[in-house]
Amino acid sequence: MSAKEEILKRLRANTREVYDMPSLVDLQGITFSDPVAEFKKKTTTTAGARLIELAPGEKLGDAVRRAYPDAVLIASNMPGVEAQLNPDTVADAQELMKADVGVVEGRIGVAENACIWIPQTMKEKAVCFASEQLVVVLDHKAVVSNMHQAYAQISRSAEFFREYKFGTFISGPSKTADIEGALVYGAQAARGLTVLLC
Amino acid sequence: MSTKHSKAAEAYLHDDAVATRHDQTFFGVRQKRDRMAQSLPEWEDLREAASQIKKHTATHLADYLELFEQRAVANGVHVHWAQDAEEYNRIVFDILSSHGVKKVVKSKSMLTEECHLNDHLEKKGIEVVETDLGERILQLMRLAPSHIVMPALHVHREDIGDTFRKLIPDFEEIAKGYAPLGIAQPSSLDNDPTFLTYVARMHLRRQFAEAGAGMTGANFGIAETGDVVVCTNEGNADMSTSIPKLHIVSMGIEKLIPNYEAMAVFQRLLARCGTGQETTVYTSHFRGPRPGGEMHIVLVDNGRSSILGNAEHWQTLKCMRCGACMNTCPVYRRSAGYSYTYFIPGPIGVNLGMLRDPHRYYDNVSACSLCCSCDNVCPVKVDLSSQIYRWRQQLDSLGHADPMKKMMSQGMSFLFNHPAIYQGALRLSPMVNWVPAPLINLKLNPWAYGHQMMKFPNKSFHQLWKEKKL
Repeated sequence: MSAKEEILKRLRANTREVYDMPSLVDLQGITFSDPVAEFKKKTTTTAGARLIELAPGEKLGDAVRRAYPDAVLIASNMPGVEAQLNPDTVADAQELMKADVGVVEGRIGVAENACIWIPQTMKEKAVCFASEQLVVVLDHKAVVSNMHQAYAQISRSAEFFREYKFGTFISGPSKTADIEGALVYGAQAARGLTVLLC
Repeated sequence: MSTKHSKAAEAYLHDDAVATRHDQTFFGVRQKRDRMAQSLPEWEDLREAASQIKKHTATHLADYLELFEQRAVANGVHVHWAQDAEEYNRIVFDILSSHGVKKVVKSKSMLTEECHLNDHLEKKGIEVVETDLGERILQLMRLAPSHIVMPALHVHREDIGDTFRKLIPDFEEIAKGYAPLGIAQPSSLDNDPTFLTYVARMHLRRQFAEAGAGMTGANFGIAETGDVVVCTNEGNADMSTSIPKLHIVSMGIEKLIPNYEAMAVFQRLLARCGTGQETTVYTSHFRGPRPGGEMHIVLVDNGRSSILGNAEHWQTLKCMRCGACMNTCPVYRRSAGYSYTYFIPGPIGVNLGMLRDPHRYYDNVSACSLCCSCDNVCPVKVDLSSQIYRWRQQLDSLGHADPMKKMMSQGMSFLFNHPAIYQGALRLSPMVNWVPAPLINLKLNPWAYGHQMMKFPNKSFHQLWKEKKL
């Protein structure tokens, strides 16, 4: 018998009483009267990120430039962003490690914890992690209160399951407290995060 | 009258400053967890849901594993099954060697510790680089984790600085790059955590670029979609899998949950319980290989399917390794990870060690005051302290009862079964009060260890009751 068959056989033999899946319909996650306001607050406090809003009539590329005026190498595949590196066309994901700023699109913002859902809408997902600084562009209409709502939305998304091999929730910049519990931003991935709310 | 744990704990407590700091650090994490719990009105509903989902999944695990494999394969993932540590290590080595990998970057996985994967790979000539900062520090210092979530919090910054200077070959070059960040010259803040984290960042980013493969654990596997979910704050799991093209996931079979609806419950609990954060920075769903790459999932049993058949202890399979039980445990906080003989310390480690090999790890069951705090913080409601209590009841039949305690129990049993002798002894007991203290508070009298011998009352409770003086 193969390892798989052995394991499954043992599991079936060792299962005694069985339990039903609980109904989660009545599980009410925390909600906010103004999820966008809560999302902004969480983003700029506990998550340790920066938040800027697209000014009326401002172009996406200009807003990115406003956030990072000194950036030399910008990596993005988003239309309207002037980028020197494109995660769809770089020869190797390693090239994205040189980027000063990566710009990606978020699809859902979550007010309770400042998470932003970013499906892999680019060839090399390294742009979300390897760039020194990350900008996540998010439509303010895409903000929900809690993770139950966010996951419900993702699981309804045929597009995600058909198109993308990866998706991640990101809340703030890479951080660590592994040295004596001292909080330091900029562990291995993006050192800083700016949420660009449209 | 001492277990290996109690002896090691005694030695640990000799340095009061170190022990106090350890205690306070982890109690601080426990307090952060409390604030998280108190800020959500639905907290207890979440715990109950999490417990029920895990009970359901564990008792339908074979079906869910088959579904998970089917979905993962449909997503283009290679799925492997390992019955034990040896088979697991062999599978991982075969994947790596067939791809000609010489160096692998790895994000934290307790399963690989359990199976001693790193040793196995390094003996066969593959370099393994841990990429979680805490794990990397321990790897360079050749130490084991002292906690499952914050593995190196017991190490002091001076020792970390010394280790980095000695063992990171390009330390000086990296340190020079720190100055332009405009904070301060590294020489003036030699062991500042921000500086040392910067050094580790640059050191590890070179490793990501050089490695031929990235390995991750799995916080959760989602049966209906074939997703593997990995949660980190540092982003090291994502770096490890965004740069190298080969991704190997090591997943204990109990990590499975049914669907995204369940995932929401666990995502909300994991970081809040583990570190007192609302979320980890990254919650990444891996559903398939990188473009032009490969993704493998190794499903590991290594004793888990047998635990399911253990009527008293099967619910340890619900554990999602958040570490909350350690942070709250007064014994863990005051004895630290290395006092335990199993690689996972604290309440969950005591139980998992006993399930692994009771004859090897029975010393740890003494590491519990039965205060039951762990039961109250566990996000999936594992009855940790009751399980430890049950293990203690089994020590005698396992042949590991403490001889002195056993003798005392037999003595008490004799005494309580012979009322005349009991009454006599009770009447005579106040005489002990007349023995000079230095003769009583001896090392030979374990009762007097750490506290004064008690004073026997002149009249027993029994007597007072009879005289209606109560």
